[in-house]
Amino acid sequence: MSLNFSSPLFLFGLLGISIPILIHLLTRRQQKHVLFSAVYLLFQSQKRSVKKSNPNRLLLLFLRCLSIALFSLALANPFFSMGNSEAFRSSSPGSYVFIVDDSFSMRTEVKEKNLFELATQFLSKLLDQIPEGSEFSLVLASSPAQVSQGWMAQKDGFFKLVQNQKPSFQTTDIGNALDSAVGLLKTSNNKEKEIILLTDLDNNGWDKEVISEIETLTNTPLKIYNFSSLTTSGNKIAVENVQSHQEFLSRSRILKIKAQIKNYSNENQRVPISLILDKKSVKEHLVNIQAGQTFTQEFSLPIRKGDPIKGEIRAGKDTLPTDSKRYFSHHPNQNIKVLVVDGDPGTISHQSESFYLERALNPFSVSLSHIDPTVTTLAELPLRKLSDFAVVILANVRELPVNFELELESFVLNGGSLIFGMGDQINARYYNQRLGNLLPVTLETVQNQETTHLLFKNNKHPVMEAFSPKAIDEMKEIPFRSIYTIQARDEKNFKVANWFSNQNPAVLETDFGKGKIILFLSSLDREWNDFPIQPTFLPWIQRWTQYAARGLKNVSHQNLLVGEIFNQRMEKGLWAIQAPGGIFHLVKSNEGQIRFNKNDIPGVYTVFELPENYTKENISRLPLGSEPVGTYTINVDTKESSSQKISEETIKSYLPNLKVSIKKPELDGTKSPTSEGVLLATPLFLLVAGILLLEGWMVRRE
Amino acid sequence: MEETPPNYDPQVLARISSLKITAMNLVDGLLTGQHRSRHKGSSVEFAEYKDYSPGDEIRHIDWKVAGKTDKYHVKQFEQSTNLKCTILLDASGSMAYQSPFDNGGSKIDYARNLVAGLTYLFLKQFDAIGLTLFNDQIIEHIPPRSKASHLQHILHGLSTISAEGVTRIDDVLAGLAERLQGRSMLILVSDFLTRDQDIHKSLKLLRSRGLEVILFHILHPDEINLPFEGDTVFESLEDDPMVGLDPIDIREEYQKAIQEQIDHLKNVSNGLGIDYVLLNTSTSLQQALSYYLLKRKSFIKS
Repeated sequence: MSLNFSSPLFLFGLLGISIPILIHLLTRRQQKHVLFSAVYLLFQSQKRSVKKSNPNRLLLLFLRCLSIALFSLALANPFFSMGNSEAFRSSSPGSYVFIVDDSFSMRTEVKEKNLFELATQFLSKLLDQIPEGSEFSLVLASSPAQVSQGWMAQKDGFFKLVQNQKPSFQTTDIGNALDSAVGLLKTSNNKEKEIILLTDLDNNGWDKEVISEIETLTNTPLKIYNFSSLTTSGNKIAVENVQSHQEFLSRSRILKIKAQIKNYSNENQRVPISLILDKKSVKEHLVNIQAGQTFTQEFSLPIRKGDPIKGEIRAGKDTLPTDSKRYFSHHPNQNIKVLVVDGDPGTISHQSESFYLERALNPFSVSLSHIDPTVTTLAELPLRKLSDFAVVILANVRELPVNFELELESFVLNGGSLIFGMGDQINARYYNQRLGNLLPVTLETVQNQETTHLLFKNNKHPVMEAFSPKAIDEMKEIPFRSIYTIQARDEKNFKVANWFSNQNPAVLETDFGKGKIILFLSSLDREWNDFPIQPTFLPWIQRWTQYAARGLKNVSHQNLLVGEIFNQRMEKGLWAIQAPGGIFHLVKSNEGQIRFNKNDIPGVYTVFELPENYTKENISRLPLGSEPVGTYTINVDTKESSSQKISEETIKSYLPNLKVSIKKPELDGTKSPTSEGVLLATPLFLLVAGILLLEGWMVRRE
Repeated sequence: MEETPPNYDPQVLARISSLKITAMNLVDGLLTGQHRSRHKGSSVEFAEYKDYSPGDEIRHIDWKVAGKTDKYHVKQFEQSTNLKCTILLDASGSMAYQSPFDNGGSKIDYARNLVAGLTYLFLKQFDAIGLTLFNDQIIEHIPPRSKASHLQHILHGLSTISAEGVTRIDDVLAGLAERLQGRSMLILVSDFLTRDQDIHKSLKLLRSRGLEVILFHILHPDEINLPFEGDTVFESLEDDPMVGLDPIDIREEYQKAIQEQIDHLKNVSNGLGIDYVLLNTSTSLQQALSYYLLKRKSFIKS
């Protein structure tokens, strides 16, 4: 039990006691000496005066001094603490590990501050009480928990370090934080050891499995300061998920945005849900969400042609605004224009080389596959403008029109892609002689003695990644009656994406200029195989087409959580990622992938492809020639949103070796007299008022 | 140089003459009062007739009246005797009080003039008068004489007073009661500022011996009103310890206390048939004496 003062500066007011004393001394009349006859009568009178409690100057002086002293004490806001302030009872130096929960739930607002700011403020206060000569360290408890500062003994430096901390957008990871703290304490030589945890006691941060593996130090005190006790209301609303997609099977360009909002409170909530684009509220719905229930709200939005859409969904207002909004981005799919050159058109449509191909590429509408095929014959080919197309599929084309191969070379060099399909019309000699620049191989012969099958050695090819094992098994069963055998050309690089079971390549791919060339060594109709009538043909040919057009994996499809790594297959070059704050990060492609892990702030991240001539090691602004590739979103993990608290008993059961105690932090203006101590200001003010009344009465009597 | 004997101290002599002048001024201006004997008997001056009763002297029967009225009346005469008076003057320290507010004399000066005036008055009426000075004991005693030259003795006695010591009226009165002759007069001049206030018994004793007692209670206005201000250390003129206080704090109580004392004396005097005269030193002595003589006269008549 101790007496503490919230505003000890006011104790200087005690010096004010000197004022009445000075006045008393200055105004005291000089004593005179008088020879008098009836002194014994004066004695008697004086005795009677005292009996009648006549005002006494000294008593008045005492009362005035007392009232000033009590007034100063009252202003200093004294309170009797029942032991909470004895945070550091020992005066000998010790080792103290401060674990500060910097998860985003600590962003819960209390008046004008958030819990994290209160926690750092409180930590600074605790720091003052630590005996001199102690050492202390700081562990941040948001996932992944990390030692922010190892042992140090300079209070000032530590104080600044604490003040500079900001809460993260991560979830809580108390278990690993405790593990780190115990690890730190093991390296300390002091006798006094203590772990001080400043948290909101959210249940999700206490992973029993992690905690059970901690080798705790026996009888080490773990003081937990529960900052959620400072909040008036818990988290109410969180946007758990936002998905955007274009309408399927229709030609309308409508974007559907589906948001899931959960009511974490125990009461039904009436919540406004807003769709915000470019910081403007576009649509708003007021919905009722039952206690503990999740509500799905759908927004429809017309898509403007090709423009990427970045926005957020906001739901209601509560003490934790961090999880009351969620970002999304959407890139309307660009239709891949494909020119299918039918090398063997038939009078009956289904006998045409392009029949299956056209239907596989675009079974119902453009909006489903985003592939827009145009079928042409060889005769029409010179009339076509190749630059209008992303991919050209040459299906069973015998020979190209005169000098058209040069046009194709130019098309591929500038980023177009070519897909060759074989067939009985193929003139191998022509291919080997005239398309030597495009094809990395020479065509040998048609092998049709025995049926062969597709062989999938490497399922990690981007095209094949989407196929389930069952689908692949189905594809393996497809009989291929005829295939072309090939011979590799010297000094030409190519990759075999698929093999046939007879050790012949099935699909080859090679880069040429900015474009890609893919060679399928069987027919794309039913002439040489039954693949076109198999259900797997449709996705197979679509994905190869998208792959060829580099649209296979849209960046904007990635919706990540804070702290997750952005992974993107990017073949070559340099990339820049613009974080929500506007800061650019330079990312290099490594082994065909880019990885970016500084996804610490929720928001929409934009990926840019930098020009090839960019050679700097860092980036502050986008160079000329940079092209936006796509966007991805980073959002908070709403498992942190639940305001369910862990109980003291549970913590003690998790950590039986530690001396666990949970306290409410004593902060200015947030003290509760009942639990933290007895406030004395009001009684003191009343006492002062009483004394002043008494003094006034005595003076009046005089 | 040989020291001048006290009796011939020029200051004393000057004081004596001053006293004499004061006394003469005081008394001559007043009516020439006579002290009539209260003891009736065969004297020079006829007082009244009284029916004869056996035992009365026959020679006192007024035969002329008996012849005319056939009744025996006895002539009564007022005894016109010389009064023997002793003035008892308090010469204790408290009588030396002199106000710091004015340059007036002390109480003892006032009392001195009063006694001188009384002495002159008495001697002028051929009464015998003596003077006893006391504090806690009798300091000086001048036996009563009616000779005119006796004035000098008394004035000398008055001039040599130095007020000091503690007042013990009780003891002094008790001692005197036996020495004083009956049917004489005792004039007690004092401030009666003494802690033992029980002079009731002593006065009663005096009265029982047939003594005519007059109390002159002399007080300075300061002693009645306590006009001092500010923190003051009061040093006693007698043997009381000094006291430091702010008189404002106790003025009311003090005034009450002194008034109680005056009232007490007055009541005691009235009860014993004693004349009590409160003399404030701010009032002139002539006024005080004339007031007293008038009062005295009316008292005798009644």
